[in-house]
Amino acid sequence: MTGKQKKQFFNAIHVVLILIAIFVMLVPIIWIFLAAFKTHVDVYQLKLFFTPTFENFGTVFDDPYRLGEKLLNSTIVAFVTVLFAIPIATLAAYSFSRFDMRGETTMLVIILATQFVPAVVIILPFFVMFRDIGLLDTRVGLILVNLAIVMPFAIWMIKGFIDGIPLDTEEAAMVDGSSRLQVIRNIVLPMAAPGLLTSAIFCFIIAWNEFLFALILTNKDAVTLPIGLALFKGEEGDLWNLLSAAGIIIMAPMFVLALMIRKYFVQGMTMGAVR
Amino acid sequence: MRDHTLKYLLVLPAVVVVFATAIWPLIEAARMSFTVGRLNRPGSLEQYIGWENYTWAFFEEPAFWNSVYVTGMYTIVTVALTTLLALGLALLLAPGGRLRSGAQTLLILPFAMSPALIGVSFRFMFNPEFGLFDAFFGIIFPPLADVSWLADPDLAFAVVVMADVWGWIPFLTLVLIGGLASVPRDTIEAAQVDGASGWRVFKDITLPQLGPVLAVVIILKSIFSLKTFDQVFMLTNGGPGTATQTLSHYIYFNGMKYGQIGYSASVAWLMVIPMIFLTYAYAKFVFRKN
Repeated sequence: MTGKQKKQFFNAIHVVLILIAIFVMLVPIIWIFLAAFKTHVDVYQLKLFFTPTFENFGTVFDDPYRLGEKLLNSTIVAFVTVLFAIPIATLAAYSFSRFDMRGETTMLVIILATQFVPAVVIILPFFVMFRDIGLLDTRVGLILVNLAIVMPFAIWMIKGFIDGIPLDTEEAAMVDGSSRLQVIRNIVLPMAAPGLLTSAIFCFIIAWNEFLFALILTNKDAVTLPIGLALFKGEEGDLWNLLSAAGIIIMAPMFVLALMIRKYFVQGMTMGAVR
Repeated sequence: MRDHTLKYLLVLPAVVVVFATAIWPLIEAARMSFTVGRLNRPGSLEQYIGWENYTWAFFEEPAFWNSVYVTGMYTIVTVALTTLLALGLALLLAPGGRLRSGAQTLLILPFAMSPALIGVSFRFMFNPEFGLFDAFFGIIFPPLADVSWLADPDLAFAVVVMADVWGWIPFLTLVLIGGLASVPRDTIEAAQVDGASGWRVFKDITLPQLGPVLAVVIILKSIFSLKTFDQVFMLTNGGPGTATQTLSHYIYFNGMKYGQIGYSASVAWLMVIPMIFLTYAYAKFVFRKN
């Protein structure tokens, strides 16, 4: 083979490998997608072609599953978690980014480290406390513990965005007599807005997908979507068509959100350790 | 207000939240680990018994060591497999172009999926009667045609590993693609002009340059592997028997199902110790960067 032929040959192999990788990545998702539109008869066969039905999406919202309640819980919990986390994280991130503080590195390391504390450690004391003060199976309780996983991401991610905003505009405004808080409100916030939105979406996805806290803290009123998956166990085993429909309701909105911020996904997860 | 006061006021709410939601539970869990701590016995969380929970775990509980073993194996296998496959995929996708950047976009999808849902979908895929992967493996390797994956200890472990690797390859790949972008192109081209083979270029130029990113990836993946709970709970619930019971699952079971919350707090703290080392290593990379 000549050099050129060799190159074309390897290129073709690469393309085939990439297509296989895409296939493996998508198959479980596509399979759930198909199953959600199958009847409860078709779903128990390896059928690729079938008459699609929308019935499953109706059934999951009816008695006894009532997925609507879980959807509402998930939405409220994730939304309120973000609503608290982002402003608090933004103030801290600005301060970490712009000022030198005593113990700043220590604080940042501790915040970083809290992300790595296993969720199962955090939840044991909270379970006992919530049991004693009556916060078990409430959205409020779930929001409080969700802050534990969302805050470190939010602080580090927003700090990264604010670090990237040049100082000049801020300094010019300070010379013109603006106070620090005016500078934050009128200059930093508008410039950081895309970054704040990105961080908010990122935290929303984390809170939405959270499983262990909701599993331990909720059992009826505050059950979220991922825990709701356990509902679809019938006497004769898993109800795969309903599970799949519920799966789509859980994952489809997150796919849309994730694609919106895909450029920053890696940065968010690695807290800026890798750019 | 002076900046000197303001800068501390701005971080105060965040510090309070982090303290209340992460530091306090750590301290309180440590305290609980020295008590009898039964959920159904009022006051038992104030009955101190010294190190008894820890000695119980170490010397009287084979199930604890089983979960340590499962978690250790799980971490080693998933970290190795995910890193290698992600590195291969990153090298394939890094050059860019329409097909490759399209593939990069699709990689986001598994990553945005809830791990619990990944567990469910893999249980579906490996169903002995109508699972797609089950059928696929049965065709390419006939001895596996009639196995019931989740009923066999080794195969169940393999399925949990596959679900984890499937879920994490995308993230690691994207990080490594970012790392590859910072390897200087002209060095590689110069080496190619000098006649270096593709493998030599990879081994002598790309890999050393990628070193720090690879290290970060391995540390992060180890942390997430050690904590694994969601997929295990949804896929096998630790079974069959305790063949796939990770530490997180063991802690959950003892604390929530058996109500031995003091004991499970002690195991939870034992789990924090390797995390401290990994976090330290990770923090070093983060701050070297800044």
